[in-house]
Amino acid sequence: MSDLILPTQIDLLHVSAVILLIATFGIVVRRGFSDWLHAYRYQTIILAGVVTLIAFVTSIWELYIVSALTLGIKAIIIPKVLFYVTKKLDSPIKLEMNPYVSLRISVIASALLVAMSYFMALQLPISSDKTISVFLPVSFSLFFIGLFIIISRRKALNQIVGLLTIENGLFLFAVVVTHGFSLIIEIGLMADILVGVIISSILLFRMSHTFDSVDIKNLESLRDD
Amino acid sequence: MSDFSIFEYGLGILQALLIIVLSPLIVGIMRKIKAKSQKRIGAGICQPYYDIIKLLRKDEIVSDQSSWIFRVTPWINFVTTASAAFFIPVFLIYSPFGVVGDVLLVVGLFALGKFFMMLAGLDVASSFGGLGSIREMMMSVLVEPALFMTIFVIALFYDGTNISTIVSSANDTSILIVPGILFALIAFFIIMMAETGKLPFDNPSTHLELTMIHESVVLEYSGKNLALMEWSHAIKQMILFALFVDIFFPWNFVEQISLVGISIGILVFITKVSVLASFTAFIETLVAKWRLFRVSDLIAMAISSSMIGVIFFFL
Repeated sequence: MSDLILPTQIDLLHVSAVILLIATFGIVVRRGFSDWLHAYRYQTIILAGVVTLIAFVTSIWELYIVSALTLGIKAIIIPKVLFYVTKKLDSPIKLEMNPYVSLRISVIASALLVAMSYFMALQLPISSDKTISVFLPVSFSLFFIGLFIIISRRKALNQIVGLLTIENGLFLFAVVVTHGFSLIIEIGLMADILVGVIISSILLFRMSHTFDSVDIKNLESLRDD
Repeated sequence: MSDFSIFEYGLGILQALLIIVLSPLIVGIMRKIKAKSQKRIGAGICQPYYDIIKLLRKDEIVSDQSSWIFRVTPWINFVTTASAAFFIPVFLIYSPFGVVGDVLLVVGLFALGKFFMMLAGLDVASSFGGLGSIREMMMSVLVEPALFMTIFVIALFYDGTNISTIVSSANDTSILIVPGILFALIAFFIIMMAETGKLPFDNPSTHLELTMIHESVVLEYSGKNLALMEWSHAIKQMILFALFVDIFFPWNFVEQISLVGISIGILVFITKVSVLASFTAFIETLVAKWRLFRVSDLIAMAISSSMIGVIFFFL
């Protein structure tokens, strides 16, 4: 199957991988609540496009459905839920004021993470297939950048966006390596993510209700009463 | 490609003259687009030419506290930018003067002009000029590594720093650009905005001297000297636009030299540069000026983007 990929299709795959990486950087450089969500939505739309491209190249029709599901749930419903949450949140400041790592250092660190994931992917012996060798490092870097967002930012909403970025990376990994799970598992995963986002937004509400802010530093102080 | 005929040298001079003469027009187009997108009417697109002619006719005032640096800076600035224009291909795929120097020489000529401009800002000891010089220094210290990283990415992909080589191998690639070059494109665009003093970095059109960088350096100039400074700034902007278009969007070059081919090439070039100029002007209306210490965030983006470009080359 992989022998049938044309050179122009490989070029297309490369360019789409680059665009996906650039969209991921959009999440890292933003400062506002709604900016992250917009960046996440763009990233997911591009991810859906990438999955469609993979489906076209490898001609597996199930991947088209998976891409449509991604577009529907992750690019439309989840941002809607999170936008609703940000609107209802009575936190006075809607910007990431002082993250643990400053923005310009986190941009450079993410670039280093991308470099690291490319070197890691070179070490792995499974790069026989062309789509794998193109997208495996990209999925690694999505995973690492998501982790980095989680550990470097203070606001709880940003942690959710980081988690969703990690999930996007894992999803890309799964699609590329296995050419799609069976459709039932895929739908189940999507439902899982949706439930996870809803639960974490309920937690966000509780947090902002109790502490009057969504700074995760508040969660560190333990009280016994 | 070492020996060119006299005719080709003539064409090379024509290319450089095109850049020098057309540069105020691009400034005019950008101002018009900005005015239009802010619901103003704006001056006509030839207004920069009238400005330069008006300034050339006016008397100039030079502070008696200033040294020779202040008087010689506009000439140095103009000569460096105008000689940098000789290395840029416009409608031919090469520039006959490309054997003399490469893209690093162009950057070096810009740096020389900028160095003297900063000295002139400090020279008259007005507080605004000094402030502007200091900011200009900070910006150029930040921009330079990013610019060199981007040049290295481009040189790695298009084998060589010679502009003619870069442009001809960019012209040979297919419509779908090389993935690593995409990163260089983003980085180069950010650097272009920084070098030409566009809005997230510098606001040239205010009259609040505290917010501007480039304009407060040339604040003390008047008359012919001011005209030279403005014109060389316009030429620098035009050169950067032309480089951007040549490297990332080639495919307009003349194969065999004829009058029709050359005029079509010139027209396509002007169209591409004005589309790029309109796009930058449009971006400028969308963003506000950033705080001076947040500017380095954008430069960090440029640096990391070109870093990933390097990674893509060694894949």
